[in-house]
Amino acid sequence: MGTGMTYRKAAAGAAVVLIVASPAAGRAPAAAQAAAPAACVSSATVNETLPNGTTWRMCWHMDARAGLVLDKVSFSAKRSALPVQVLESIRLGQLNVPYDSGETEFNDLTDYGFGDGNLQTLTGEDCKGGSARQGSDGGPEGTRRNVLCVSAEPSGLAYRLNDGDEDTPKVYSKQGFDLVLRSISKVGWYEYVSEYRFGDAGQISARLGATGDLSPTDYVKADNGWPIGKGAKDYAAMHYHNAFWRVDFNLGGTGKEKVEQYDTKVNGRGSMSAKLTTARTSIAKEGSFAKANRRWWRLVSPASKNGDGHLRSYQLVTGANDVYEAHPETTPDVTFTQAHACEKFATGNADPQCPREKSILDFAKNKETMTDPIMWVRVGFHHVPRDEDQSPMPLHWQGFDLEPRDFTAINPAAPDGRQNVDGRPS
Amino acid sequence: MTYPKWGWVLGVATVTAVVAFGVASWQASAAPTPGASPTVPAEQATVSNPDPGPAPSAGIGQDALTSTELGKARALAETTALKAGAKDVTGSAGPEYLAADIADADTGRTAELYYYDYQGNRLVKQVVDLRSGKLAGSYAATGMQLPPAEREVRTALDLLLASPLSAELKDAYAKATGQPFTGQELSPTAHIYHALPADSGAPQCGKNRCLRLIVQTTDGHILDLDKIIVDLSGRTVARLN
Repeated sequence: MGTGMTYRKAAAGAAVVLIVASPAAGRAPAAAQAAAPAACVSSATVNETLPNGTTWRMCWHMDARAGLVLDKVSFSAKRSALPVQVLESIRLGQLNVPYDSGETEFNDLTDYGFGDGNLQTLTGEDCKGGSARQGSDGGPEGTRRNVLCVSAEPSGLAYRLNDGDEDTPKVYSKQGFDLVLRSISKVGWYEYVSEYRFGDAGQISARLGATGDLSPTDYVKADNGWPIGKGAKDYAAMHYHNAFWRVDFNLGGTGKEKVEQYDTKVNGRGSMSAKLTTARTSIAKEGSFAKANRRWWRLVSPASKNGDGHLRSYQLVTGANDVYEAHPETTPDVTFTQAHACEKFATGNADPQCPREKSILDFAKNKETMTDPIMWVRVGFHHVPRDEDQSPMPLHWQGFDLEPRDFTAINPAAPDGRQNVDGRPS
Repeated sequence: MTYPKWGWVLGVATVTAVVAFGVASWQASAAPTPGASPTVPAEQATVSNPDPGPAPSAGIGQDALTSTELGKARALAETTALKAGAKDVTGSAGPEYLAADIADADTGRTAELYYYDYQGNRLVKQVVDLRSGKLAGSYAATGMQLPPAEREVRTALDLLLASPLSAELKDAYAKATGQPFTGQELSPTAHIYHALPADSGAPQCGKNRCLRLIVQTTDGHILDLDKIIVDLSGRTVARLN
């Protein structure tokens, strides 16, 4: 979006800093608290402090096709009290569901939609222990319903350190928590959970969960199905869930992130073990990329630095991921493109303003130099049905993590006693 | 001053650590008591649960368009030029209103409204600047589809019921429920169908606006209509081979 986008990002970044009223805001410069232009209406604001003092603040809205969209996400913590923006927005970018039979295929965002009437009103135990938030379902009439669940959930042991010795142990041990936002969309027989987990040490996890029921009509032969009824008769069709997310960073509110790829190769032997060397490749132009052993990507701010003087960044961490090589669009693991308002969906993009831009491959084709990169993350799950999938189907999940890298100078949740540990111990 | 033993507000980690270590040592040497509650109570975390308050008349930033804004945006978008010669899914004058999104705009509030003109078989995007109250852009393209509006889904079901292929729906209904179909209530949803090169039966779909119905009975059965395609542009119903 060129200079316009830059202006928006700068303004948005400042706004987030200004409006945050967390317990830690007292340490923000007084002047920054004077004016308080809100980034969104109060009912669209999520602003929660987790037990260790970490505060996540963001805006949310529902889109008719994409479902849950999180905007202007910022982070602050006990040891980094000034809120710093992380994301401009994050949302799903497509959900492609082809069946192995070759007989059917769905594009659940662009042909069906996660918002509007398919977005479910929270009920039952959908949001047990959490807060059901009301807002527009993204439909053509703007109907307000309880559609977003906000909760704080335990994430297990956050850290553990025995800094003492056998006789005088000094144990730092802490349970962690995530701030969790989720919504549910019913697409035919499947029900999908869009979930984002914001960890109390800065990690962000984006996940798609699938539940509901298996297709009631897609029963096939043994080579592309799995028998789920009595005997070897009802072969439920295997299928893919090819999910894409659209991630727009705005690190430190200054935008203009640089994309970097890192690769580590075995490079000879040292006196005891193999030598490995790590090299960085700058990705300045649009393109699609595939995972390799030890390969990873990060988006780095060109300006925003942590207390150690290091440029802030977030790293893409992917896990289980089945590639669907039957489509060129679902083959790459990640695609980086320059932000353009017209480029909304990873596939099935349908905007009369830019009729030739139909998928991420079209977006990236001209290898434009990126000044405002969008990261399109693809995570595929090849679903082989099993007896236990009936019924309702236990949730199966697919997704990725965004890990802060040098966003803060030390562990943002470091306990008293460890706050001065920063660098090589003297 | 008293410190809550397990509350997160506790600022002195060493106190927690010493107590925790004591508990751990005890656990190591004592047999667990079946059914006993954990010796270290779980830390609780809660979130706020604010009152949503009245519906806002206008949003800020990327907030969803409010019903007030949608009304204003539609009034600006539905121009004489848009309506001229256009037809909706029922065949009446004027385009079919599909959806409205908040646009990713630098400042202010910009709405993107989508319409389908069945006469020209084209998707129209009307861009409305809500702050200035002006139509900021108008774009149209053929061969491009957005998810169906509720009225289109109902129309598709009506077309199917009125077609010879309704026999398939009736068979599926009887098979699923054990009852003959005599006009019972059905709950339809649908998705856009695009013909792929290998598809036969409805190769015009994509250029035409076609739906594949997912029809549920009131007792939750989903009828098998996977091969039935309703062409809303051509007002025909076809079966994929």
